[in-house]
Amino acid sequence: MSTLFEIIGGALLLIGSAFLFLGGLGIFRMPDVYNRLQAGTKATTLGGMSLILGVGFLMVETSWMWMAKAVIIVIFIAFSNPISSHALARAMYKRKQYPLITSKDENMDAYKEISENEKKEEDA
Amino acid sequence: MKKFLVILILAVLGFHLFAAFSGLGFGVTRFEKGVKDFYLEKTVSELHVANTVTSIVVNFRGFDTLGEVTVLFLAVSAMGGILYKRRHHAGDRSVLFSSSSIVRSGSKLLFPAIILLGVYIFIHGHLSPGGGFQGGAIIATGFLLMLIAYENFSVSHNTLSYIESFAGIFFVVIGLLGFMNGGTFLQNFLPAGILNNLFSGGVIGIIYVMVGFKVAAELTGLIYTILHEKD
Repeated sequence: MSTLFEIIGGALLLIGSAFLFLGGLGIFRMPDVYNRLQAGTKATTLGGMSLILGVGFLMVETSWMWMAKAVIIVIFIAFSNPISSHALARAMYKRKQYPLITSKDENMDAYKEISENEKKEEDA
Repeated sequence: MKKFLVILILAVLGFHLFAAFSGLGFGVTRFEKGVKDFYLEKTVSELHVANTVTSIVVNFRGFDTLGEVTVLFLAVSAMGGILYKRRHHAGDRSVLFSSSSIVRSGSKLLFPAIILLGVYIFIHGHLSPGGGFQGGAIIATGFLLMLIAYENFSVSHNTLSYIESFAGIFFVVIGLLGFMNGGTFLQNFLPAGILNNLFSGGVIGIIYVMVGFKVAAELTGLIYTILHEKD
């Protein structure tokens, strides 16, 4: 008979692996840089976090140190992964890799206005 | 049709690869008694080191590690020499635009954690996977992060070369101390301690700390030279 902690840990492992799989599929399937970044970083942030927390829950009866280490790693991922994806997206934008827009709606590139205003201020 | 053919070819290839590799028997002793048994036995019984790879790299074949460290030093020196000539001609540093405030504050938060992880890895080199080279590389990535995030973040080349020289000299001195005490270069002369404790394995821990400092200083200097070509 499995305990409550083991059930929680197993569920978290399942959720994590599902999200990591979807993230990998998204990198393969999505059309442009930004969509791929979204799949490759948002999904893997949640997937990695729940995988590691799941391991912590599975091992919590063996030693509480596992859980403590897992929480530290989760905090590290919560900081590092969004920051790195932000830096990647910003670098891509600065390299003039604009989002792939099939419709005529120009408003989809909301950052364009901001960056053009910044450029005008710099020129002035 | 094409996809079907591809799948068929993959299936045939996979079948044959499996057939070839299934006969190998991983983890089964395929060789007669030799030097590997000596390593496996002496690592635990005499040196009291949990990580066999580390004990081979630093203790049994410590002289090779000294050579590796020297090769790394030579590579970094050559790189510095080449870039030094270019430094006077080329213009700005190679980061194109300044990083955003998110990256700045985030890397300020993460920098101590990265350094701590690197130090942890090279201190526990004889207990867990990793060691001086890996820990040093991780510390260098921490400095790389800071150098990318902050344009005016600077590392003193003099300090780096002092750390590096001191670590290298200490490595050789430990080797010579083994020469005096035990009879051969890099012989273990400290008490072996208890298996799985932090203070175990004699000189292995000390040597790996020195290797960690040396590799970290070398790689940081290399990254700094590449990023600051103007200086």
